[in-house]
Amino acid sequence: MAAQGVAGQTQQLQQANATTTTAGTTTQGVVSLPYHWDKRHKGQAGQARFELQFDLDSLPTESYGIYLPRLGNAYAIWLNGHLLQHNGDLASGNGADFAKAPRYVDITPGLLQRHNQIVIQIRADVGRRGGLAPVTVGPESEVRTLHRSDHQWRITGSVAVAIANLLVALIALALWATQVDNSIPGKPQRDCLYLFAGLAELSWALRVADAAIEQPPLDWPWWGMLTIAALTAWVCSMVLFCVEVAGWRRLASLTWLRRWLAVLMATSLPAGYLAMVTGKPVALTLQYAALATTALVFLARFLIRTRIATLQHKIVAAAILLNIGVGIRDLVAFRLSESYGGNTWMRYSSLMFGVALAYIVLARLHQATTQARDLLKHMEDRIARKEAELQLLYPRMEELARDHERSAERSRILRDMHDGVGSHISTAIRQLQNGKASHDDMLHTLSDALDQLKLSIDAMHLQPGDVGALLANMRYRLESRFLACGIELQWDVAELAPITRLDAHAMGQLQFMLFEAFSNVLQHAHASMLRVVALPLGPANQGLQLQIIDNGVGYDSDAPPRNGLRSMQNRAQAIGVVLRLSSVPGRSVVEIRTD
Amino acid sequence: MLWAQSKRDRGNNVWRVLVVEDDPDMREFFAASVTRCAALELAASLGTVADARDWLNQHTAPVDVLLTDLGLPDGSGLEVIRMALRLHPQCEPLVISMFGDEDNVLASIEAGALGYIHKDSTPDDIARTILDMREGASPISPMIARRVLSKYRSQFADPPPSFRAHPTAPEAETARPLLSPREQDVLALIARGFSYSEVARLQAVTVHTIRTHIRNLYAKLSVHSKTEAVFEATRMGLLPPHS
Repeated sequence: MAAQGVAGQTQQLQQANATTTTAGTTTQGVVSLPYHWDKRHKGQAGQARFELQFDLDSLPTESYGIYLPRLGNAYAIWLNGHLLQHNGDLASGNGADFAKAPRYVDITPGLLQRHNQIVIQIRADVGRRGGLAPVTVGPESEVRTLHRSDHQWRITGSVAVAIANLLVALIALALWATQVDNSIPGKPQRDCLYLFAGLAELSWALRVADAAIEQPPLDWPWWGMLTIAALTAWVCSMVLFCVEVAGWRRLASLTWLRRWLAVLMATSLPAGYLAMVTGKPVALTLQYAALATTALVFLARFLIRTRIATLQHKIVAAAILLNIGVGIRDLVAFRLSESYGGNTWMRYSSLMFGVALAYIVLARLHQATTQARDLLKHMEDRIARKEAELQLLYPRMEELARDHERSAERSRILRDMHDGVGSHISTAIRQLQNGKASHDDMLHTLSDALDQLKLSIDAMHLQPGDVGALLANMRYRLESRFLACGIELQWDVAELAPITRLDAHAMGQLQFMLFEAFSNVLQHAHASMLRVVALPLGPANQGLQLQIIDNGVGYDSDAPPRNGLRSMQNRAQAIGVVLRLSSVPGRSVVEIRTD
Repeated sequence: MLWAQSKRDRGNNVWRVLVVEDDPDMREFFAASVTRCAALELAASLGTVADARDWLNQHTAPVDVLLTDLGLPDGSGLEVIRMALRLHPQCEPLVISMFGDEDNVLASIEAGALGYIHKDSTPDDIARTILDMREGASPISPMIARRVLSKYRSQFADPPPSFRAHPTAPEAETARPLLSPREQDVLALIARGFSYSEVARLQAVTVHTIRTHIRNLYAKLSVHSKTEAVFEATRMGLLPPHS
């Protein structure tokens, strides 16, 4: 019964005296290890005590240790009556699970004897892979190496894979949340490829991380059912991810696939319940088999329909193929055979989907960058073309603007000629024809014509709104005529800001009005004094008050206006200024106001 | 000196006037206006730039006043002004202008003219303008005053310092504005329509002072335009920097 060993050599202990207690019934006997509780006590929780003997031909000089690939779900280990290690509650079940990680136990120096007994007591829950794997005893250097290697593959590797999956999941979900296509107004479109990849990676992170979670937040079997649901969600999400990769989203047959995946999701919890509560592990085996079959059928369809035309298809197909193969291996190893201990390989092969997703994202980024570059180039070309067109168009526009300006100027000059010089020359001709006009009248008419002509020419250089310049220029042009008539000129013109509302046309009209007023004084007033007053009005000097005051004989300002006065009123109305006339003998005032 | 000599030689303050006008009636009118004034003597009345050039080259007797139209059949009256000033530096040119419009008048001033006469002036006005000019009066219209103010208010009398090959004077001395503050004030009042006498009253100076300001302005504009032309020609590589 006791294993015989040579000091300094490793021994694997595969037999034990076992005392098991389930539902108040205790049985005793020699058992072979591994002792897979779920296989031997289907649907029952309980405790077991294993006694393992080993002998040494002599007491070893180096340190010794014990390596246990799997034991639990709670356990305690004694050597020669001394407690070496214990984890978990041996009395009550469904709490923490210490059967996930391989264990190493140091043997206190001096504890070993020629004849040794290891006692291991466990508590096992239903469907939780409790039990005891073969025990290895030997020099610390060898046994610790075995433990370290096992631990790295099962725990450290699982944590690394879970972290990697979590990162990929977060990136994929972030891409799903942020990459929104707003090309259809009111209907923002998100890419489901990222959503399914994110969900798959998130589910898988939970599933893989379970290997390192000894004290889960939920009691057994709920936690176990959650990990089964996570595995199913991973498979279903990955299938939908591959559907997006293949571009099958709008295929009619997809409805059936989606329904089937929903069924798988729905059955995951009952299958877990049956396996972990009622002791029917075949339910879970069938669930896993269904998942594998679904993936296998999908792969076949994927290969046929896409003809793996692109590198993207190739990578995804390889990932599916690899995972199906590994999944079937794990199914056989852990569900169909008696294997106890060991690791699932799928946790590592699943990384291939992460690689596929990374490639897809990079390929899309490359495609987007290329498109953006092409678009930019296209835009630059278009802008360059437009600029060239504008360059050609610009001179034409300038020419048109100049033409327009010239045309407007011509119209203004023609109007001036018509109202001013033309009108006066016509009058002079009529005066000559009817022979009634005096020499002075003729001279006055012709002088008016010439002065109008000069004023029209001067008006070409007037800045719009510069009434000060307009007045000054009129004085310059007409002063000799006032002097010739013996009229003293009093100039009371303040500094005037430009009146912005008076454009070139309005300035011309104002000039005509003033000329008419001056001409009336020269011709009819018999005045000896003419006073010109100009004052700014308003808080910002935006307005103007102009007064032409003479001390002549006056006129009846209430009588129907003569042609000249009517013309002044019409012009005032046309440019929106106020014209007021008042006259008594000795004081006649023409007032023009702008507000 | 030459000018003083000619006056002394004649001894009776009669100014010799050369008339250049292509329209025969107008030429005759101006010639008659000069002849009828005792203080003026008609040197010649001519119709083209070529005739004026020949006459100026052939006659060394001083010309005191040049009365020239700008639009001549074979060129511009500005050429006649420059020629007359070169051969008779004491000569004071007057431009005959139909409208006294600012473009032509400014170009004439920059060519060296000291005033202008309107074609529709009376004979007495023509003689008066010539005599006033000889006494130092130059006319300036409000429009031209405005134009000069806006063009030269910020300009400087000398070319930019960077242009001078051998700067010897401090910046402050050389970079003085073309128009003095007083000249700017006078021009501003003229631009508002005030007469010389009104400007003199407002500035509390004599009319003579105002006339002097305006005459100085004429000279400055003429000199400035020449300096500007040399500067521009040098900048464009038409003249070497030291010429």
